[in-house]
Amino acid sequence: MEYKLRKAEPRDVSDILRLVKELAKYEEMEDQVMLTEKELLEDGFGDTPFYHCILAEIQGENGTDDLKVVGFAMYYFTYDPWSGKQLYLEDFYVMDKYRGMGIGSAILKQLSDLAMKTRCTGMMFVVAENNESSINFYKQRGAEDLSEEEGWRLYKFHKEDLLKLAAPAEE
Amino acid sequence: MANFILRKAESKDVSDILRLIKELAKFEEMEEQVILTEKDLLEDGFGDHPFYHCLVAEVPKEHQSSEGYTVIAFAMYYFTYDPWIGKLLYLEDFYVMQDFRGFGIGSQILKVLSETAVKTRCSSMHFIVAENNKCSIEFYKRRGAADLSYEEGWRLFAIDKEDLLKMTTK
Repeated sequence: MEYKLRKAEPRDVSDILRLVKELAKYEEMEDQVMLTEKELLEDGFGDTPFYHCILAEIQGENGTDDLKVVGFAMYYFTYDPWSGKQLYLEDFYVMDKYRGMGIGSAILKQLSDLAMKTRCTGMMFVVAENNESSINFYKQRGAEDLSEEEGWRLYKFHKEDLLKLAAPAEE
Repeated sequence: MANFILRKAESKDVSDILRLIKELAKFEEMEEQVILTEKDLLEDGFGDHPFYHCLVAEVPKEHQSSEGYTVIAFAMYYFTYDPWIGKLLYLEDFYVMQDFRGFGIGSQILKVLSETAVKTRCSSMHFIVAENNKCSIEFYKRRGAADLSYEEGWRLFAIDKEDLLKMTTK
């Protein structure tokens, strides 16, 4: 089965959202996806893109010109104050049926090329601690678990907390 | 001494930004890992496409640090994207020089960052903290921060440049 990788375009937002939801479902968090196609469109294809996507596409099964998007990677650029620009891999998913063909490896290779071209000093991403197959996929390619080695833990402030913090009333 | 101002960093601030990055790295016992230069900070933060933003805290000359610095705190942040909820503000570095703590500078910086997040329609602010950094963890938890590594089991991974290069040649 032939596949091809390409940069996402505005017309792809419904496929992007579909794959975001499939990956969330795989992580048992599907009901947490609040994002809409409209937001994906504004945020990814406006004046300042907040994310970028690479898509993997195959020829549809009917043998017509029908192409199907079967995998994606969503990424953006971050900044490490010790070494500079980083490529941050936010979501990375290949539909179950299309695994084992090298699509994931090809996407990661393209991301690595891009990271080098844009003079990034590394690529970062988070992985759920129970996602053994993904952890192995990454470790086979040299990834280090910084949570393990350096003790970093990911924190967040929800919007309600931000509103409280931003409010004029002081402690 | 509670006299300080917060402002957006300008290109003239890159040497103070680098100094404070190194001080924070030293506090985390990682000082020799800072390979960034003032030139990188200038190109990356003040060029056509900024890869980061900084807030700095400045005190009047009469309150300068023992080595004569008036820029005594900073926060470095940028915007990231959560595919479930959209734009996020990511707090990358956040540091107040030791002698200037306890005056509310950190709280004020966090307040301005929160305002920025809300104004730019971010759904959340994310950041990482070293698990042994108890006082920072408490500072954040008092203000409502949740430990996603704990609650959701996320672990931070990195692929360094050599391994990226290996993948590009495969």
